[in-house]
Amino acid sequence: MAHTTHTVKRYSGLMDWLTTVDHKKIGVLYLIAGAFFFGIGGIEAILIRIQLIKPQNTFLDAQTFNELITMHGTTMIFLGVMPIIFALMNAIIPLQIGARDVAFPFLNALGFWTFFFGGLLLNLSWLIGSVPDAGWTSYVPLASTTYSTHHGVDFYVLGLQIAGIGTLLGGINFLATIINMRAPGMSFMRMPMFTWASFITSALILFAFPAVTVGLVLLMFDRLFGGNFFEVANGGNPILWQHIFWIFGHPEVYILILPAFGIISDVVSTFSRKRLFGYSSMVFATILIGFLGFMVWAHHMFATGLGPVANALFSIATMLIAVPTGIKIFNWLFTMWGGSIKFTAANLYAVGFIPTFVMGGVTGVMLASAPADFQFHDTYFVVAHFHYVIVGGLVLGLFAGLHYWWPKMFGRVLKEGLGKATFWMFFIGFQLTFFVQHFLGLTGMPRRVFTYLPNQRFDLMNLISTIGAIMMGIGVLMFLWNVLVTSLKPANASNDPWEDGRTLEWTIPSPPPEYNFKQTPLVRGYDAWWKEKMEGNTEMQPAEPVGSIHMPSPSILPFFMGIGLFIAGFGFMFAKDDFNNALLNGLFNNYVVAGVGLLITLTCMFLRSVIDDPGYHIEKEELEDKGVKA
Amino acid sequence: MAAQQAASDQSKRRHKHEGPQKHIVAFIFSIVLTLIAFAAVGSAGEVNTTFIYIILMVMAILQVVIQMAYWMHMKDKGHMLPIVFMFGGAIVALTCIVMAVYWVWWG
Repeated sequence: MAHTTHTVKRYSGLMDWLTTVDHKKIGVLYLIAGAFFFGIGGIEAILIRIQLIKPQNTFLDAQTFNELITMHGTTMIFLGVMPIIFALMNAIIPLQIGARDVAFPFLNALGFWTFFFGGLLLNLSWLIGSVPDAGWTSYVPLASTTYSTHHGVDFYVLGLQIAGIGTLLGGINFLATIINMRAPGMSFMRMPMFTWASFITSALILFAFPAVTVGLVLLMFDRLFGGNFFEVANGGNPILWQHIFWIFGHPEVYILILPAFGIISDVVSTFSRKRLFGYSSMVFATILIGFLGFMVWAHHMFATGLGPVANALFSIATMLIAVPTGIKIFNWLFTMWGGSIKFTAANLYAVGFIPTFVMGGVTGVMLASAPADFQFHDTYFVVAHFHYVIVGGLVLGLFAGLHYWWPKMFGRVLKEGLGKATFWMFFIGFQLTFFVQHFLGLTGMPRRVFTYLPNQRFDLMNLISTIGAIMMGIGVLMFLWNVLVTSLKPANASNDPWEDGRTLEWTIPSPPPEYNFKQTPLVRGYDAWWKEKMEGNTEMQPAEPVGSIHMPSPSILPFFMGIGLFIAGFGFMFAKDDFNNALLNGLFNNYVVAGVGLLITLTCMFLRSVIDDPGYHIEKEELEDKGVKA
Repeated sequence: MAAQQAASDQSKRRHKHEGPQKHIVAFIFSIVLTLIAFAAVGSAGEVNTTFIYIILMVMAILQVVIQMAYWMHMKDKGHMLPIVFMFGGAIVALTCIVMAVYWVWWG
């Protein structure tokens, strides 16, 4: 078929990474940036635990401690684990559904760069010296200018605004990708569980992130432009912030955990060499968790005083979520039942996930009971609960996913022995850190307090907890060592290095070529690749003849759009400061810096709109030359 | 270009061209609804105000339905997911409004 050939500049080296719109490379970028912020959050966690190792410790002062707990929570959730989720979604979902790229490759790059510069803005607060210190929930009036006079909370507000744009773009992109880009035969009820979970997660992002965006805009107006949304004296209402934050915040925890459920489902069924037990009930449970996730936010606010009727309703709604979650747990157990289980490192993490997550779920049901919550509220019991679901759930899930898909992303299998040792170090460290925190909470230790008096039965348990945290730190370092050692090996992983792969990503080379599938595969059932294997086929049936492949062209614009918002963020934040310097005062106080930043972003948007981007084609001959297996 | 066509279910969907009749009917219907709304406002003073509010709300909802169904093709096949997502968004938005009115404004 005739078409005009467009020559497109192909970059290499650093420019390749800055301009890429390839979902696999963006996945790697998300992984690197996520790992960087995860490291920062981890160091903050270790510092917190060192401060609490003994009573009346003077390692940190109260202000620094508040800054550390705020930044630990914010960094880990928004900048640590969510980008690593997006890394796996980017790297794997198009492959699992048989697509050549995501629906909006440019938007994908834009999502990464806005996330990255938002996160950078937030973390530069450490270097500039005024760090957010109002908790990751940033409740007003503590976060209002009355009680927080320095720029800390401004960094939180602007950093999360910019990073939130990236997350929202990513969510929309994956919705469009999963709805529109599935290969022929890949119906919704044949999609792998990781793709399903990511689909629901993306829908939750679509509905939940606007809520936090509104909340952050209101807080920004209060702090930067003298608004009164949360100022009681002028008719505002601080409870409004709590509602808006948790209308976002509760779905957010399902945004985090659902992809982990998906990873565990894929890993458990692969390494049990069995079809996932109760696939359709898994899909149903995932949708139900997503739906119920929006109906339970006020269980974070039982102690706010909503009254017994509201508390009772939200209690019951919260406990209901245990039902679909229980369905999932039993389905994983029944998947393993009778399977020929291989305990690879990935599967160890998955199997470790199940009991740990059940414990986090059980304490969740305990917290859902409003009368009991009045006792648990703001104690270490809550800290133990949410670390069991986020670390014991999501982080173990992410490690499982990274071990499982590492060969697909980088062409190298992570060292199995070292991976298993890492699992035990991390897993035991995790249980040591957080198991005792349940009892610390029940004994009465409040969260977010920087030290405690001796002989209140806190001393030994805090020591154990700190030792566990250090073991978790060593575990993460062992994982990094594994990555380093593996990256020095030749990239020789086969298409299906686990030999039991069930889904489409295992039918193409590791790492895949930039166009993923030379010929779009024809999907003939659930676990498409496994089905072909069982019928004795060595490759997927193609759904099309070999033809030229249309690819999107790389672009530097997303990078500059991110930079523009980054500069504008600083401009607005320091617009009312006195720098004792005429030039800086002139630039910031007249909104010159903010204006320049916004101008950069708007110019890039304008250029994107007017410059026609036809992309380019990889020709049939070029495909044959590479001799790539379909 | 077979590649792109096969890669996407969407591009394979064929819309049967149905002609302008239904759109003309919908357009006339929209205008009639607008006229009723104007008439309702014009009759303020003669008719109970609450009744006018109700009329206006009903007219507005009907307008939205016509807009969605005919002009944005929601009545056609293959629009299940947009409908699901719009209802999902509406439920979440309504929850927020009920929260704000009930707990923040009245409470």
